[in-house]
Amino acid sequence: MILFEFEHENPVLAEDAVARLHEIEAEARFMAGGTDLIPNMRIGIAKPAHVISLTRIPREPMTVGADGWLKIDALTTLSEIEHSALVTEAAPILAASAHTVAGNQIRQRATLGGNLCQETRCLYLNQQHDFQFVEPCYKRGGDCCYPFPRNKKEVCWSVYMSDIAPALMVWDADVTVLGSGGEVRMPVEALFTGDGLRPTTLNPGEMLRYVHMPPVKSHMGWGYHKSTVRGGLEFGIAVMALTLRLEDDLETCAEAKIAIGAVNEGPVKLVDTMSAMIGKKLTKAALAELADMASREINPLPHHGFSKPYLRDNIRVHLRRAMQIALARAQES
Amino acid sequence: MLDSPNNTVVTAKARPKPRLVTLAINGETHEVMVRPHVMLLEVIRDHVGLTGTKDGCESGTCGACTVLLEGKPILACITLAVECDGMHVQTIEGLSENGKLSDLQEAFLDQAATQCGFCTPGVIMSAKALLDNNPKPSVPQIKKALEGNLCRCTGYNSIVDAILQYSGQGVEPLMKRDDAP
Repeated sequence: MILFEFEHENPVLAEDAVARLHEIEAEARFMAGGTDLIPNMRIGIAKPAHVISLTRIPREPMTVGADGWLKIDALTTLSEIEHSALVTEAAPILAASAHTVAGNQIRQRATLGGNLCQETRCLYLNQQHDFQFVEPCYKRGGDCCYPFPRNKKEVCWSVYMSDIAPALMVWDADVTVLGSGGEVRMPVEALFTGDGLRPTTLNPGEMLRYVHMPPVKSHMGWGYHKSTVRGGLEFGIAVMALTLRLEDDLETCAEAKIAIGAVNEGPVKLVDTMSAMIGKKLTKAALAELADMASREINPLPHHGFSKPYLRDNIRVHLRRAMQIALARAQES
Repeated sequence: MLDSPNNTVVTAKARPKPRLVTLAINGETHEVMVRPHVMLLEVIRDHVGLTGTKDGCESGTCGACTVLLEGKPILACITLAVECDGMHVQTIEGLSENGKLSDLQEAFLDQAATQCGFCTPGVIMSAKALLDNNPKPSVPQIKKALEGNLCRCTGYNSIVDAILQYSGQGVEPLMKRDDAP
């Protein structure tokens, strides 16, 4: 049972849901699968007076448009995405990343949009607060930070844990946001603020409606790795995603995108490493060098007991392996 | 308190009204009056009285509360009861017939895949959801399907063996049971 009462409704039209959120004066939240919001409500991170459930809104089937872009309803469950033959063919990195999220039962209810709009996490924040900590932290509206006591006011180093966001970033995905003014399409990067207090740029009353995935290009390869302790039912230590496109000689890199997730307040694109990669011949030694460079470029927050040097090492090793996989895929395609 | 003059706009001060939720639990229709903050797990255990579904972590991390909602394994502890109105729910009690355990449950006994038994109802419901879609799952598929269920005493090998035995993949029962009624 959630320890406070709230009003609940489930409209059947996305437009109605957005309109209702604007009408309601009390604090209201959208809820898709609820697999992130409900545990947060239990421990008091979120205390909405009104929950607008999106579960009755009919899910549009995935379609590939005339331009080759795959359009996915943001309310599609992760289980549907990981098992979809269409996603596996058109945007395999999305199927692979959805496959790693949490556990099977959670993926049955959790949605693509909800995964992108999830709350950030921290070892202190995500605990039943009342009996352990007297004062609320910055994120809970208080005036201190437990894991980083010297943090300045309004600086929250909680970590954005989405496994899917880095995959969408390297695939150059777009998202459509439905607000009171209608639908707005924008690159997925524009969703993330990099601020632990407010991880997404969505305003109250705005809803993530669609995710658009561009078609696969020729000589394009992808790599994805989620580092975990147990290998299932947990948040990542670090999430690495990359895509690369080769020139016709199948050695020289023409285009590269690398994003690292679950180590900062938002997913991070490694701009320097990406530009260093372009035009290089991707030999084994070059990849090792690039992975070294990436691990120096990223500035991970120590989170959930993992130190900064450990996270850097983890990213260096696993990113190198993901790069090798991406290269092999690009050479095969 | 019960009736605000204008009940279309509800503010935080008015207490949310209970609403009627109809659930088909193991084929039997149950109607319960619940407020929105009540979870499906509480309806199953406290309102309907089917305590086979266990209340473990209450935060979606252990899988002890796994039930099948419209045939899909979900965590009843992080699912609002009002969201399940008009849906079919299957719990561990729905597997046995006339007091006789189902073959899947018997396979768990044969392999000693249960010890304290707290995780077992959730594990069996996850396994059932897997086997409904995939009658002969491979070991990696079994492990992936059960990743959301934590067991702290038997270890997972015997659980995987039980599913292999049930699906007829060459695992013999460890314990011969007495079949006498």
